[in-house]
Amino acid sequence: MTSDNATPDPDSQPNESLPAPSQPKTSGPKRRPKFRLSRLALKELRETLRDRRTIVTLVLMPLLVYPTLSLVFKTFLLANIGLLPSSDPVSLRIAYAGDVPQSQIRVVLDQIGAMVGEVENQERQRQEKEEQEREAAAKANGENVDDADPASPADGSADLASIAAKFSPVDGRGRYAEFQQHKWFFIEPEIGVSVDQYVEAGDADVGVIFETQGKQRWEVGKAKLVSRKDPQSQAAADYLFVNFKKLNELGLRMRLQGRNIPSGPTLKVSETQIGPDDAATQQGFPLATLVPMILVLMTITGAVYPAIDLTAGERERGTLETLMAAPVPRVGILFSKFIAVLTVAVLTAVLNIVGMFATVWAFQLDKQFGGGVFSFNVMWQILLLLILFAAFYSALLLAVTSFAKSFKEAQVYLIPIILLSLGPGLMAMAPGMTLDGVNSVTPMVNILLLARDVIQNQVILVPALIAIVSTLFYTYLAIRLAAWIFGSDNILYAGSGSVAEMFQRPAKVNRVVPFMATIFCLILLFPINFASIGFLGRMSAETSSDLELRFMLMALFTFFAFMVVPWLVSKHQNADTKLAFGLKPPNVLYIVAGVLLGLSLWPLVMSMTSGWHEAYGFLFGEESQQAWREKLLESTKGQVTRIRSVGPHVIVIAFSIVPAVCEEWFFRGMFQRSLLAKKSAWKAILFSALAFGAFHMLGNSVIAIDRLIPTTLVGLMLGYLAYKSDSIIPGIILHSIHNAFVIFLAYYQPQLSEYSWFPAEDSPIPMSWVIAGAVVALIGAGIIWALPRREPEEILAKAKLKPAVE
Amino acid sequence: MISINHLSKSFQSGRRDILAVDDVSFEVVPGEVYGLLGPNGAGKTTMMRMILGLLKPDSGFAEISGFKSVEQPNEVKRQVGFVSASAGVYQWLTGREMLSFFGEIYGLESREIDTRIEELTEILGLDEFINQGCATLSTGQKQRLSLARALIHDPPVMILDEPTLGLDVVGSQVIFNYIDILKERSKAIILCTHRLEQAQRVCSRFGLLHKGKKVLEGTMNELQAQTGRNDLVEIFVDLIENKTEPTLA
Repeated sequence: MTSDNATPDPDSQPNESLPAPSQPKTSGPKRRPKFRLSRLALKELRETLRDRRTIVTLVLMPLLVYPTLSLVFKTFLLANIGLLPSSDPVSLRIAYAGDVPQSQIRVVLDQIGAMVGEVENQERQRQEKEEQEREAAAKANGENVDDADPASPADGSADLASIAAKFSPVDGRGRYAEFQQHKWFFIEPEIGVSVDQYVEAGDADVGVIFETQGKQRWEVGKAKLVSRKDPQSQAAADYLFVNFKKLNELGLRMRLQGRNIPSGPTLKVSETQIGPDDAATQQGFPLATLVPMILVLMTITGAVYPAIDLTAGERERGTLETLMAAPVPRVGILFSKFIAVLTVAVLTAVLNIVGMFATVWAFQLDKQFGGGVFSFNVMWQILLLLILFAAFYSALLLAVTSFAKSFKEAQVYLIPIILLSLGPGLMAMAPGMTLDGVNSVTPMVNILLLARDVIQNQVILVPALIAIVSTLFYTYLAIRLAAWIFGSDNILYAGSGSVAEMFQRPAKVNRVVPFMATIFCLILLFPINFASIGFLGRMSAETSSDLELRFMLMALFTFFAFMVVPWLVSKHQNADTKLAFGLKPPNVLYIVAGVLLGLSLWPLVMSMTSGWHEAYGFLFGEESQQAWREKLLESTKGQVTRIRSVGPHVIVIAFSIVPAVCEEWFFRGMFQRSLLAKKSAWKAILFSALAFGAFHMLGNSVIAIDRLIPTTLVGLMLGYLAYKSDSIIPGIILHSIHNAFVIFLAYYQPQLSEYSWFPAEDSPIPMSWVIAGAVVALIGAGIIWALPRREPEEILAKAKLKPAVE
Repeated sequence: MISINHLSKSFQSGRRDILAVDDVSFEVVPGEVYGLLGPNGAGKTTMMRMILGLLKPDSGFAEISGFKSVEQPNEVKRQVGFVSASAGVYQWLTGREMLSFFGEIYGLESREIDTRIEELTEILGLDEFINQGCATLSTGQKQRLSLARALIHDPPVMILDEPTLGLDVVGSQVIFNYIDILKERSKAIILCTHRLEQAQRVCSRFGLLHKGKKVLEGTMNELQAQTGRNDLVEIFVDLIENKTEPTLA
């Protein structure tokens, strides 16, 4: 009974009374139950939605968060126009025209409060006196005091309060007091320029035009206030309005007090608003950027709990193993979990978007802040973007939580991930960010910017499409990653391939650095790289010796980051240096190929970079291209000037030899060889080239996306060379010759173009050069292609691996 | 039916490789309950996971009804009902929902599932709680439900890893009684347990694992002859105290 191949199980059911289902003897191909993804997903969803904790984030959060947020918005509004007590007094500018001296207006602005207060005081005293007299009289007459008519105090002080309240939405008196601290600057318009124009151009916050009637006192006449629709201008106009009204009150009171002057015509104050309705471009609180950010964060919140619960939680409860013991593919299980998490995330998004728009609508935030349209049409577009984002983030969360063995562990992993995603969020909120270049392909940033553009009704088609397609691509990658993690053995049980592998020192001598340790090294290189860029940027670059020092330090950093750090990691991982980095001398022909390619690739790279400039214009619009190019040219020019001021020996070391050796050491050595042990050759070459390209994007002060594609392509060639030759030495030669060519062409360009050996600055590479380069490069590539690959196994057999440490 | 051939598996623990299962072979035929016994950490659970294809062995292979667990894990899983000590239940589903979910996962038609649930409910006494949410069940009820879940597709092979862990005497009695029934119905069963008295009664043959190696194998009579001891507990204690010389290669 050992192995009768695929024979159905003998149908021996001796006991009739026992359960004997007729069919599910499911061996053999004829009855192969179809895999039911929908059934799996339904189970996951049912489980999640019955969990009250999911409901809390789903329903309660929007109910509580948005009313609270509306208050925050209002506070932001005040902070934005400098009205909070903590903020410094703002200088306000009045464009002023009329036949009344400014000094008189200033007296009104500065002292009206005090004047009104004084008059009010006098009045109150008088009133009290009258009251007392009346009470005394009443007592004498035996009347009931309470019957006195309390309505409409004759002095009209209630009116004043109501006016102040009317124009101060938050707190009339507090706001008034704040405005007392403001400095007022009077601007007298030049001849031929109207007050309106000053206000509209933003040179003044408010405009005042006075017309007095004949030679009468100036309080009797017309005052026209001109303001824009932004908050600051509105506030300034309100303030003047209130003060002028108070002036009228004051006059009235004084007349009433005097009791002999009849109430005559007073200052008539009228207001006009000018300027565009759409305040999006004006300085105001960026509601359009904040709304997507909050929605994205809430969507994340909704996805986190089910993601943890359905992976790490299930594993902790022991139900995952049960499911894995059933005949369903692991990818199917993962995908059903993905659908469940995504559904909850989308439900969260829907509830939040409704809550958010309702809040904006109910509290009229869009009117107060300006800066966007919050219509139904916009709402569903934002929702679609949120669904896309939710898909990406759910997959990412699942990848991370699949790693974890328990709920707690998953939470520990997720907190940094969520905090990290605040970074792109804040980046997208920065003013002046546009959806182009790197932004359009940066995960999360692109969706946030696109959502902002949707709210502001400023969507440009091509970048929008790039953002959507790239996010779809990242979603795919994240699902693939999650499936890979989910499919490995350690999804169920602790074992290899976990985070622990990054830090665990293996007992055996490794032929390559283990994959996880390489990834750890790659992650480590990011902060080191940023630190070195930051440090070098702070160094003085005044004299040429300063610069020489700076370039040498740069080389030192490169050496440290790409050579020392990977080497330390490899030692920690007990890897054999020669094998892990590919240091064996190769076939001489590979070196020839390396030299040929080193000599011939640069015209191709340069023409590709200018080709990319054209493509950039096509993708993101001419304007965007122009601005970006100017920025790039400026920084490049500065760089070239600096480079020319130091000696050629420094250039050779800092720009050719050190980067070539160190980058090959890490990217083609440790990284690619580590990948080769796990993945197919083309994947290993592709990923190492992409990492290589990505790191070169960071190198400049400007994030140079134009370098990504050419550098990645050069990286592919270097990777192929390293793969075939099983050595990094030919690559080092290629790399250093290539770098030397590029840098020295820039270095000696004035001399070279003087002899007409090289085109002048800013002019393109001649086509003939490109063709010549292509031909030589093809020969080099042909040599690599024609040569046989030295199988690493041969070397491994020869290499004497040391026995285990223990 | 079940055929285990030279299975080996090692794990890395800290800086050392630990051989969890070291070249173990055995066979189980229909109608036989094979008691896989051994102290904690002997490699029993790793063994079972490899048989099911949940873990990849370093070398050797396991075969069930002619399917190798590495090559055709889904075919193997279809042949096996698996209950482990750590098996959980879905706390937000009812017992009935969980059983019918697994029925569908194993490819049963809904009418089959209904009959099957009826039958299992009767035998395992699930009727008092089958419509309750699983979160409210007691340990014994959960374990009975897990057993029902593993049997929903009426598999020819059962792998039971500590099915009575945490159960009281009555609870485990229910399980062992049902194992008897399964044996009568010609299932091939592997049973891991620490309840040695019951194992002695229910198992047809035994394999004793210690530190990843199979050190003893045979029927009760054969074991008694090999060790000179009377019952499993004594044999077991000898094993842990290293008094037993491995009699099998």
